[in-house]
Amino acid sequence: MNTGVYLHIPFCSARCTYCDFNTYVGLEALFAPYVRALLAEIAQYDGFPAQTLFFGGGTPSLLSPEQIGALIEAARSAFQLPPEAEITLECNPGTVNLGYLRALRACGVNRLSFGAQSAIPAELSLLGRDHNWHTVVQAVQNAREAGFEHVNLDLIFGLPHQSLCDWEHTLHAVLRLEPDHLSLYALTLEPGTPLHQQVRRGQLPSPDPDLTADMYEMAEALLGEAGFEHYEISNWCRPGKACQHNLIYWRNEPYVGLGAGAHGFDLRRRYWRVRHPAEYVARVERGQTTEAGDEPISEPLARGETMMLGLRLLQEGVSQDRFRARFGAPIEAFFAAELAEGTRRGLIEVTEQCVRLTPRGRFVSNQVMQWFIPDVAAVA
Amino acid sequence: MSSITVQPDSPSVRDALSRIRNFCIIAHVDHGKSTLADRLLELTGTVSKRDMQEQLLDSMELEREKGVTIKASAVRMIYQAKDGNQYELNLIDTPGHVDFAYEVSRALNACEGALLVVDASQGIEAQTLANLYLALEAGLHIIPVINKIDLPHARPDEVAQEIGNLLGDDPQHMLRISAKEGIGIEAVLERIIQEVPSPKGDSEAPLQALIFDSHYDSYKGVIAYVRIMNGVVGLKTKLRMAATGAITEPVEIGVFTPRMTPTGHLSAGEVGYIATGLKSVRECRVGDTMLDAARPAEPLKGYKPAKPMVFASIFPTHAEDYPLLRDALEKLQLNDASLTFEPENSSALGFGFRVGFLGLFHMEIVQERLEREYNLDVVITAPSVEYEAVLTNGEVIKVDRPADMPDPSRLREMREPWMKIEIFTPAEYIGPIMELVTKRRGISESMEYLDAHRVVLKYAMPLAELIVDFYDRLKSISKGYASLDYQFDSYRPGDLVKLDILINGDPLDSMAMITHRDEAQRRGAVLCKKIKDAIPRQLFEVPIQAAIGGKIIARETKPALRKDVLAKCYGGDVTRKRKLLEKQKEGKKRMKMFGTVEIPQEAFMAMLRLED
Ligand SMILES: Nc1nc2c(ncn2[C@@H]2O[C@H](COP(=O)(O)OP(=O)(O)OP(=O)(O)O)[C@@H](O)[C@H]2O)c(=O)[nH]1
Ligand code: SF4
Ligand SMILES: [Mg+2]
Repeated sequence: MNTGVYLHIPFCSARCTYCDFNTYVGLEALFAPYVRALLAEIAQYDGFPAQTLFFGGGTPSLLSPEQIGALIEAARSAFQLPPEAEITLECNPGTVNLGYLRALRACGVNRLSFGAQSAIPAELSLLGRDHNWHTVVQAVQNAREAGFEHVNLDLIFGLPHQSLCDWEHTLHAVLRLEPDHLSLYALTLEPGTPLHQQVRRGQLPSPDPDLTADMYEMAEALLGEAGFEHYEISNWCRPGKACQHNLIYWRNEPYVGLGAGAHGFDLRRRYWRVRHPAEYVARVERGQTTEAGDEPISEPLARGETMMLGLRLLQEGVSQDRFRARFGAPIEAFFAAELAEGTRRGLIEVTEQCVRLTPRGRFVSNQVMQWFIPDVAAVA
Repeated sequence: MSSITVQPDSPSVRDALSRIRNFCIIAHVDHGKSTLADRLLELTGTVSKRDMQEQLLDSMELEREKGVTIKASAVRMIYQAKDGNQYELNLIDTPGHVDFAYEVSRALNACEGALLVVDASQGIEAQTLANLYLALEAGLHIIPVINKIDLPHARPDEVAQEIGNLLGDDPQHMLRISAKEGIGIEAVLERIIQEVPSPKGDSEAPLQALIFDSHYDSYKGVIAYVRIMNGVVGLKTKLRMAATGAITEPVEIGVFTPRMTPTGHLSAGEVGYIATGLKSVRECRVGDTMLDAARPAEPLKGYKPAKPMVFASIFPTHAEDYPLLRDALEKLQLNDASLTFEPENSSALGFGFRVGFLGLFHMEIVQERLEREYNLDVVITAPSVEYEAVLTNGEVIKVDRPADMPDPSRLREMREPWMKIEIFTPAEYIGPIMELVTKRRGISESMEYLDAHRVVLKYAMPLAELIVDFYDRLKSISKGYASLDYQFDSYRPGDLVKLDILINGDPLDSMAMITHRDEAQRRGAVLCKKIKDAIPRQLFEVPIQAAIGGKIIARETKPALRKDVLAKCYGGDVTRKRKLLEKQKEGKKRMKMFGTVEIPQEAFMAMLRLED
């Protein structure tokens, strides 16, 4: 079992119209104290082994290479990260130049994830992204030149006004950049975001779910032809380039979450930290806990979550061996009815090695996953 | 009993009667009955200026909000007339809406005269005439009152002429008032004194008290609104209800001023209330006669109980509210004897009630009262009329819900209620109105000109056609000018079929309907579309069909759910993702299974709430 470390950097230079992440604009003054607080919190984990490190956001690339370098160094020593450990940093393509990327590479970052989102200018502006496609192209080139062998691009589809043709254009444009990894997310309209409001008020058409499904199918086909493996519901990679950190989540393995609003999990308990960075900094400075809440994870819940998350892995699925090792009995022992129903409906495939979604099941994974989640009443 | 000349200082029974006037106010909806009542209350000092509020007698919350009288109300006023005498005036305000015509007819029997209020800008309309005929039938003296003369587009002379043509009265002699501005009100009171006959009746004779309305009070039991025809009633009088035989002693006797004011007794010619202490309106029925149990007289001629014309099922949105719904309906029935209901069970909507109404407006009122006064969230199925099914063995059964329609093999004939309808309209809308009525299977009977510009169109039409937004359509094609009155005529044979709705092959009972064969295809198509939009996608394709017998006549297909995938799982926030799934799963528990199709309760509600 691996352990991951997640560092949350809750700062952005502008707010995207669809974003409901825990991030803040205009808090530059907090960068330095925030990094100090993170360093202090990392130090508390001295001697706690972990295998991956992930800088998520927000926009971690708003921090200086020195700040990132210091955090990596602290993490390496506290978590005894192996030398080849995957260290990912999420970047806004607009905020990085070649020099910056070289510096990142030098201080140990070995995987970059760019929020590219779309190759169509109108879509980028609809999403409120402050970069254009050319910036993305430039950023990827620079990343290669700086020596990165793991480059991911995030894309969003199912946007208001987006046609299948638009999506095809973006996919082709992205493939030309030859990324190692692609994350494709169907737009979810989160309450409270400007995009959600505009759709609710009728100023924008709401995305058509059938068209979105067509887009997903198109991506599957095109990326498959281009040699990508569809290894997780929303993720594709070139062989051997799967994201090790995210695999930890999907295998329901433990992770340490550090920074404002970060979530952590130690197999028995999931916790989350205070959301606002100022509050986070203040608590660390006062020597108080930064945890805002937690949730005990009972065995039945852990089994349900293992299924929910593992089913996202389209090839690997929920591994029979790992499941048995962890819960002391095979999957069928707990979920015979669910497996039978899923197989009967052609949504689930049960093999010697694993339980996984069928191609049809991928599209309606929520419907399948909820069978495995214990009833709220049963847990409470 | 003609006019009276008794010395004022030696009051006799007859003299007392000569100082009483019982009258009601009748009119078409919104012509100003309640507003005129306000002015009368004010001018007679019954209600002080300070306590005055608009349409004071409309005391129900819903009446006040809608500005419409739903329930008749009675009030006693004391008036110092110009002849130097003091008179007791008993006024009954009545509703104008056709659904409540029965309230009007009851009030009429308690009076000797009626003020026929006509809006000077609208002229005679459907209920003006309908209510006038009821009043004439009841033998009342009619005083026409032309109201709203303050309106800039008032045409009092023309309207006076219209009324003159109808009643044979001199248009010059007619009262012209503005109830709103308080113009001409005193003349109305004087006219009542001069023209409305004083009540007849004998205080010495055995008691006969006509119950013309009632309401329920949780302390005093059923409060009967009575007109004493003969005799006297006091707190010691042992009462017997002629029809039900129930015996009781009055808890309180009094008059409305307009608050209930105890007087301890009422005598011949008077209007007031008797609190009976009886716990059920079934024991003390409107239309019945109260008699003195010790000296029983003959009962008076009662009225036919109001008969429900329109039926629909009411279900609580939350199944656990079923007992509350039952309580609420029972309470409403205490004040509204025309409301009927019986329990019913639907596979889609669970437990509810089949409820009979006087008409659509009545149905709307009941729904709103349930929602507001009882805080219930309810859903009502499409209204239906009461059909007659003639079976092959000659037996005739009543069918007011599609599920009760007999199998075609047992059925000789279906009959449906037909109404006589009268439409008053400016002549320019005759064309579109004819077209509308014909489309609704109406048969033209006659057309009469009221004057050069206005006509009365008479038709026969199936009630079923009348209750699907006929009134709204009529109003909209006539720019609001046409008015409508209708009455039951007869049951006539019709080519009626039961339209079933099938979801994935399973019949959905709450959506079935009885309809004319020619309409079945169109309505089936509309329903299928409606359901398609309301139900969530399933993991498979779901056919939605409309069928007559086994034959499919319309079809829609709900495509299978193609995509239901959660987006990014950010920063290890597994809890949030799981909660979303939990919520989805919880939602499913509230779904009903139709074979293999899962339909949330809300979707059923949505289907029923959607307009055609
Ligand atoms: N301009 C004007 N408006 C009036 C007059 N009398 C009544 N109205 C208005 O006409 C509307 C209807 O008046 P109501 O007194 O409620 O009529 P109604 O006949 O009791 O109505 P229903 O009980 O619903 O049949 C109200 O808005 C009144 O303010 C009048 O003399 N002049
Ligand atoms: S860059 Fe990412 S975190 Fe920042 S506002 Fe945009 S979507 Fe949100
Ligand atoms: Mg009124």
